[in-house]
Amino acid sequence: MLTITNLDLSYPGDEPLATISWQVERGDQIALLGRSGTGKSTLLAAIIEGSPAIIKESERIAYLSQQPALLPWATVIENVLLGFKLRGDTQSSDTTEKALNLLGQVELGTHAHRQVALLSGGQKARVALARVLLEQSDLVLLDEPFAGLDRSTRIQMAALCQTLLASKTVILVTHDPRDAQDWLDTAMVLTTESIKGPYRLNEFASDRALIQALDGDL
Amino acid sequence: MNRLLSATFPFLLLVGLWWLVVITLEVPHFILPSPERVARVLVERLPLISGHAFTTASEIVCGLMLGTVLGFAVACLIGDSKKLTQITMPALVISQALPVFAIAPILMLWLGYGFASKLAMTTLIVFFPVTASTLAGFRAMPRSWELTFQTLRPKRSQLFWFVRFPLAIPYALSGVRVAASVAPIGAVVGEWVGSSSGLGYLMLHANGRGQTDLMFAALIVLCVEALLIWSLVNRLANRFDQNSHFAE
Repeated sequence: MLTITNLDLSYPGDEPLATISWQVERGDQIALLGRSGTGKSTLLAAIIEGSPAIIKESERIAYLSQQPALLPWATVIENVLLGFKLRGDTQSSDTTEKALNLLGQVELGTHAHRQVALLSGGQKARVALARVLLEQSDLVLLDEPFAGLDRSTRIQMAALCQTLLASKTVILVTHDPRDAQDWLDTAMVLTTESIKGPYRLNEFASDRALIQALDGDL
Repeated sequence: MNRLLSATFPFLLLVGLWWLVVITLEVPHFILPSPERVARVLVERLPLISGHAFTTASEIVCGLMLGTVLGFAVACLIGDSKKLTQITMPALVISQALPVFAIAPILMLWLGYGFASKLAMTTLIVFFPVTASTLAGFRAMPRSWELTFQTLRPKRSQLFWFVRFPLAIPYALSGVRVAASVAPIGAVVGEWVGSSSGLGYLMLHANGRGQTDLMFAALIVLCVEALLIWSLVNRLANRFDQNSHFAE
């Protein structure tokens, strides 16, 4: 699905970061752990924007960030359908029905025509998730998508992702393995020197093991 | 009532101080007329003053509208392209860095002593804050949003009209608020340099004849006028703002 060869994550003029090579297979579902400042988000941006060091099997990529990109003045359903609007595609009644159906799956069926500005953080995250699902992307990139949410909402989101993203290739970037444990099995660890793994996520059950791993010593 | 009192208190204090200075220092009235003298002139010469006030108000309001429309349009034209912004920015900054006093005589020469030159001055002064704030609005989109929208494979024009443009509106409005507070400068400076009506003209005229009280009366009317226009614009901007707040 994704072949990365010698991608330099350093930011010009900043401290040097790792140059990585990494192969992601179709259907892989991987948590990418790492301390802040190791270039996790830079890596996702490079995947989205493209780079000579990255070969993508598909251009259909979905991205879900900590601050979901939802237009606050638009309604929930308008935000789910935003991709169609921005591409200038005609929205068939089929698409709208599908969007409504997906909103039901993320437990927002009754909120379709509410303005997004009025939703809670957890509800906004679910609107963004519904959009990701409607876009039928092959590769789903999640950049700390649960970071601003409380623990119970995180658990709910993880459960939803587990069911609804089951058929996709997933890279979940996080610095907290608890966000991934409920849902994924495999993890890679990004440090300022290299990318290591795969590890089994339950190897990081103890804080010591996690800190060792994030330091690149596991 | 309480709000009105706290808003007028500084003015009452100022007038009180003014009165005190006039009485205790026995300042001659052609240097500093007493508040009551100014008030009397204000009432007696009201038809004269209000005619000039109307001229100045229409210069300010029209300049404000034209400058806002132009500023917003220019920002929209160049805001979608980083390169175009970089190229145009120096010219925009220069248009603002040149003091209006320096440009005024040239505008008089080109546009005459009537309404047009004052409109141009006010427009010029309004234009920059509106353009600059709108451009800031175009740049304010978080990186994660840009990446997300990119994954939706948008058409450039659609992305502009449905996302970037509405997101920039609150920024543009704060530019308009600033512009409303500086717009009177353009109109009055224009009148000083050359005109036959307007509060700026009246003040200059009164000054030349030693009618300091009339000058003060005109100044007070100008202050009230500027304040009214500003609060009207502020109110309008707030109404628009409610419809387009940015994500928290």
